[in-house]
Amino acid sequence: MLKMNNISRIYQSDTIQTHALRDFSLNVGAGEFVAVTGPSGSGKSTFLNVAGLLDNFDKGQYELDGVSVQGLKDSELSRLRNEKIGFIFQNYNLIPDYSIFDNVDMPLRYRGFSSSERKRRVEQALEKVGLASRMKYLPSQLSGGQQQRVAIARALAGEPKILLADEPTGNLDSLMARQVMEILHDLNKEGATIIMVTHDPDQAREVNRNVQIIDGQLADFKIYAPLDRKSQSDDDNQSIASVVSKEVHKEEVDA
Amino acid sequence: MRNNSLLSYNILLAMQSFKRAKSLYFLIILTLSIGVGVLCANLALVNSMASDPIPEKSANLLHISMNTWPDVQPPDEPMHILRYRDAMRIAESDIPLRSAVFYASGVYARDIESTSMKRFDSRVRATTPGFFELADAPFAFGTAFEKSRGMEVVIGHELNQKIFAGKNSVGKTLELDGELLTIVGVLKPWIVRPLFYHPTEGRAFDLTDDIFAPLETAIDLGWSIHARSSSTDNYAGVNETRDRNVYYLQAWVELDDIAKKSALQSYLDNYSQQLKDAGEHPLAINNKLHNVNEWLKEAKVVDQKVLAFTLASILFLSVCIFNASSLLLSRFHAAKFEVGLRRAIGASNKHMMMQGLTESVLLGVFTGVIAVILSWFFLKISVQFLPRLANIAVLEPKLLVLGMFLALITAIASALYPLYRANRYTISAELK
Repeated sequence: MLKMNNISRIYQSDTIQTHALRDFSLNVGAGEFVAVTGPSGSGKSTFLNVAGLLDNFDKGQYELDGVSVQGLKDSELSRLRNEKIGFIFQNYNLIPDYSIFDNVDMPLRYRGFSSSERKRRVEQALEKVGLASRMKYLPSQLSGGQQQRVAIARALAGEPKILLADEPTGNLDSLMARQVMEILHDLNKEGATIIMVTHDPDQAREVNRNVQIIDGQLADFKIYAPLDRKSQSDDDNQSIASVVSKEVHKEEVDA
Repeated sequence: MRNNSLLSYNILLAMQSFKRAKSLYFLIILTLSIGVGVLCANLALVNSMASDPIPEKSANLLHISMNTWPDVQPPDEPMHILRYRDAMRIAESDIPLRSAVFYASGVYARDIESTSMKRFDSRVRATTPGFFELADAPFAFGTAFEKSRGMEVVIGHELNQKIFAGKNSVGKTLELDGELLTIVGVLKPWIVRPLFYHPTEGRAFDLTDDIFAPLETAIDLGWSIHARSSSTDNYAGVNETRDRNVYYLQAWVELDDIAKKSALQSYLDNYSQQLKDAGEHPLAINNKLHNVNEWLKEAKVVDQKVLAFTLASILFLSVCIFNASSLLLSRFHAAKFEVGLRRAIGASNKHMMMQGLTESVLLGVFTGVIAVILSWFFLKISVQFLPRLANIAVLEPKLLVLGMFLALITAIASALYPLYRANRYTISAELK
């Protein structure tokens, strides 16, 4: 799904040259859930920006879903971002004066879908994150967790090949963070490929694979056994699941 | 289909953007509207002054100036007013298709059937019959008079409105300075801007005349000359001018083929030479023929001050564009996050450029509407301060179209630099 070979990204100011990524290589297969960890300034966000085609790279080869991205024009890169990648940002990045529907609809507008197809996809994506009843709300009328779920719906609506999440729970309290992680895990179970940058070692341990970046290089390569969530204490698991489902149910009733 | 859908989406986004920053967009629209409005008002004046009043045949209509002044101190240039006998020599020529010899006068007019003794001060053109076809005068009722002598007149639309309430007045009799003349024709509303057949003496933007009378009759009746005249002889009234050196008539000819211009020039020059040989004037032969546009230029119809002010208006509009551009730059800067987000989720540079251009075009449309209203308002104010502009302060349809076009161009020009900057934002820099 994602193949990076010897990628380098260098930022150059007047006097300083910063190697944000150095000979960085990574392969992510379809259906994997990869956590990217590392200290601040290690190059995690640069990696995610390069992976998401939001930033260029100076050296190396990068292939996304079989497409080599070197030398592609702006319009081709934009189409790849639109069709193959779904972004989930730490700050949700919703447009405050657009309704939830319009926020989720945004990427579909550039895809050329008919209005009925867009409506179907938006409703389906919001259904998936439990916010189908809040389509006419503004982001400010939702909690942080709900806003992040809207952002996930926006990423899902285009049915991308890969989801790139940059600290998706970084601004959320533990309960809301749990809700978001549950959704990501569900999506992964359904076959979604996810790369998630996180600072939270617990979240990193929950996923198939943890990649550590230090000083722009791959520092360690940890493969965890697929999370056997049932192996955790049944009490804990039940309590989290029940709290999340109760919370979503409560939101739907409130709406 | 996809383009239509994106266009409607871009229009929707532009309207949302206007709503989001109402005050800022109001300032931008106002700034550009004032600039375009002032320029448009000036262009309306220049257009009235510089336009060709009879484009279909302006090249074939020639004004005649002659130098037959019988004195040792001649004017520097041949005179645009002629003696009766010089003018008649032109009228007799069979080189032109038709000719018109005339002078401006004025009378008081009333309907003899009216019970009111009110008389209307009326501008008169005492002319040979060829004038009407030469100047393409449009008739509403009746026809032109056929001879240069006869107690008949053609009246203009306005006078017909005043005296006969716009009804067909052909056959009615007017009392003109105590003489009774019958109306044989009534003109439709007739605007000649500039008044090419008499642009001298500051009359270029006068209205067309109220009464057109046969030349010989007007002279016989002694209707006085209401324009420039010069003479070396004494005379008691215009009825004594036929055989004296009194210069007051203007002459125009219409050629069916402009190639006949040289034949006409020779004809005039030969005539002047004959006069010189007969000892009637001591001057070098110097007769001039000007077509309509040359004559209007010669008469300096376009006011240089208006031209200078138009140039100043263009500079003012440039300042307005810079101001609007800087306001738009701040708006686009504030929207960096949205630009970054849209780029991240799949909008290309071209999409963002089209979104910005759609916004600019809509801005231009709003600006255009307000600019046209402001142009009209500025022209009204101009007329208040300078009443002589009244007949040229006119917003013709082509000026309205020009105003809208200018507004669109300025709105797009204002957005070009901000759009260029917005498309250079690093996508990832605005998103976390």
